[in-house]
Amino acid sequence: MSELMFVRPVSVRSLPEGTQPVVSLKGVTKRFGKVLANESITMDVYPGRIKALLGENGAGKSTMMSMLAGRYCPDEGHIEVDGKPVRFTSSKDAIAAGIGMVYQHFMLVDCMTVAENVLLGQEGTFFINPREMKKRVGELAEAYGLDIDPAARISDLSMGERQLVEILKLLYRESRILIFDEPTAVLTPEETNKLFEALWRMTEQGKSIIFISHKLEEVIALADEIAILRRGRLEGELDPSAITSKSELASRMVGKEVILEVNRKTVEISEPVLEIRHLTGLGLTDINFRVRKGEIVAVVGVAGNGQKALVEAVTGLCKPPANTVFIMQQPWRKFFAESTWNRSMCYIPEDRLGLATLRNQNMVDNLLLTTRKGFSNGPWLNKKRAEKDTLKLIKKFDIRPGKIHALAWQLSGGNLQKAVLARELYREPRFIVAEQPTQGLDVSATEEVWNRLLDARDISGILLVTGDLNEALQLADYIAVMYRGRILGMLPTSEEATSGKIGPLMAGVTD
Amino acid sequence: MPLTIIKRDEPWKWGALVIFLGALLFCLAVSAALLAGQGKDALHGLYVLWLGSFGNLWALEGALLKAIPLFLCSLGVAVAFRMQIWNIGAEGQFALGAIGATWMSLLFPDLPRLILLPLMFMMAFLLGGIWAFIPAFLKLKLRVNEIISTLMLNYIAILLLDFLVFGVWKDPASFGFPMTPEFTQGAIIPTIGDSRVHWGLLFCLIVGVGLWAFMRFTRLGFELQASGEGARVAKYAKIRYGMLVMFVMFLSGGLAGWAGCVETSAILNRLQPSLMVGYGYTAIVVAWLARLEPLNIAFASFLLAALRVGVENMQLELQIPAAFGVIMEGIILLTVLAGQFFLLYKLERKHSS
Repeated sequence: MSELMFVRPVSVRSLPEGTQPVVSLKGVTKRFGKVLANESITMDVYPGRIKALLGENGAGKSTMMSMLAGRYCPDEGHIEVDGKPVRFTSSKDAIAAGIGMVYQHFMLVDCMTVAENVLLGQEGTFFINPREMKKRVGELAEAYGLDIDPAARISDLSMGERQLVEILKLLYRESRILIFDEPTAVLTPEETNKLFEALWRMTEQGKSIIFISHKLEEVIALADEIAILRRGRLEGELDPSAITSKSELASRMVGKEVILEVNRKTVEISEPVLEIRHLTGLGLTDINFRVRKGEIVAVVGVAGNGQKALVEAVTGLCKPPANTVFIMQQPWRKFFAESTWNRSMCYIPEDRLGLATLRNQNMVDNLLLTTRKGFSNGPWLNKKRAEKDTLKLIKKFDIRPGKIHALAWQLSGGNLQKAVLARELYREPRFIVAEQPTQGLDVSATEEVWNRLLDARDISGILLVTGDLNEALQLADYIAVMYRGRILGMLPTSEEATSGKIGPLMAGVTD
Repeated sequence: MPLTIIKRDEPWKWGALVIFLGALLFCLAVSAALLAGQGKDALHGLYVLWLGSFGNLWALEGALLKAIPLFLCSLGVAVAFRMQIWNIGAEGQFALGAIGATWMSLLFPDLPRLILLPLMFMMAFLLGGIWAFIPAFLKLKLRVNEIISTLMLNYIAILLLDFLVFGVWKDPASFGFPMTPEFTQGAIIPTIGDSRVHWGLLFCLIVGVGLWAFMRFTRLGFELQASGEGARVAKYAKIRYGMLVMFVMFLSGGLAGWAGCVETSAILNRLQPSLMVGYGYTAIVVAWLARLEPLNIAFASFLLAALRVGVENMQLELQIPAAFGVIMEGIILLTVLAGQFFLLYKLERKHSS
């Protein structure tokens, strides 16, 4: 478990009698064509409280928040601000009403300073005084206890600090309701704790927070109330203090009991499928480790500490120095010159739509992308057989919609990942590189991916690159922690102490 | 009632056809307005255009003749576009194909047709292909943008053609006109029966079907289309992207070269500067209108060829500037491109609360 050091100041904050909601959704319904994204949702948001919004992928969280942020109009029902019905026709209206959103992908100008970004589009006059700008933003940051230098350039900031800038932007526009879309996805555990403290302080000054997350432990630790969305409907609102276990919360989210801890049976470990010896270069420093058949080695670390370079060097997207990388006991160059389409290495990349699939092609063509040599007959391609096998895989992996003519971009994130996994496992790999295999997936899809990867150990060794510590702890035999291009520790998950050691190593603390 | 733009859940099934017809209508409307602006009778003008394009057998034959080189050039352009390689140089590759064919016909004037014609086609494909290969090579080795280099090579190709017909290949009996001697019978593609249409039409059919089958049924064709998603995806799928870029450009140039060969051999029967009427550029319009599909390309090239013939007729009958045809082509392309927005989005009335 990723350990949260954040301890809430008061375990439960009770809502004072007679508090009026600052924003309410009243029977809001939204359709996209035939799809019912939100169905008569009624929900209140109170000042000074943190409301967590929990739900699977496609449960309708984003649609709901987009209506609050003014990007969509509800088909039925309405939104009330301070008890008065409002109609947002654009995000400007929502901002004017005091509703602001921090998106997953930050919208900041990298080459400008913090103060400039905060004031961008808000200058008021044509001429602006840089000193005055800095002062105003500095005072604002101080008022909310956000630790950031208004003169710093965005490009020099960490992800956590950039997020603070996004928050400052909203505070400067005097937003009263701040919506966060999976804010912790890009943060280290320490940064997450800092964010939580900042959120808490903001609520003490009367701001309302809506917090969208997949991570159950965060939601339990932070929220004053938890709203659960399931298939577009509000499943219920809970008091976090009444929750006894994470699996209970998870089961309410997906509607069936989900075991978030998978059963990892031991598999016989044999010959190495990946060996890295003294790899220096590409931003990496002296990397040494190996992955053997039957085991999973997880590489964890804050994004941008060399995981990308490591993956590219191993999978052939980048060329490593000679005699550093050995795949299936062959030097890198020889392996890639001679590798076959099956019983070899396969790569499940983080970028499913941009790298792993052809976004405008159907499922058959997407199956053929890496398996085409298995369907070749001289120069010809046996598409009939490919169609048959695609259909089989769609059934076996329950990929929806179950049509072979569906285009890659029409699939949801979870189904697309299942399709990639189905294709790559079809190749009977001996060595798998899986990069963030469950990022953005809901609990049931995550569970399925995990089980597929664990099953794959019978025939292959797996290098798992992940930002999700729980995933690493659940699946891996060893966890390598990366920091600034180095591997700071190789920790066996069989040891109890491992989970506690990861956090400090990710931050570069080795003592 | 105000309208909002909404993303479609599924692509519009008949959208492409509707948009194309809409664009055609819009283009005709603008043309009519332009005619009226010139003080001509707009309806009569459009009638003359119709007559000139489809009104009689002579017009239809003319359209078909012009459609042949357009089709071949356009196939070439489309193959490269499929892979997102922007070959704007069909015009130059067309010229090189004509040069290659002429070279063979001047070198071996007395060979029988069954040997000479294949020789001419081969050389046309080779030279056209090499002309397109240069930008591919530059793109891969020096990262030169192929849009710029293919476009520049067009001018060089035309100057090369001029150099040849004004110089070494000039017919001594041409009274100083820049043209080569007329081809021998063996170097001329014969016409089909009594019509004006030549056997190049059949050649087009074979090439079109061949290319369609290549893209659809072969591994190389699949790899080519897959690479259209970008070099990174190609690398992920272990496709040899560099090799494919060179191959596809060679193929693309070769097809344009064939167009040049057919045009010189069957229509002009010699090489002369009037060969270059911009088929290579119109081919880009055709390829986009047809959304890069071979069958659609056949229709689109016939349509644009008919438009050209029709406008020529209008020019004669109504004393209209030659630029009129170019204007119409441009309007159609722009409208279709703009209209493609509606394949992904639709307009809906805003619900009032």
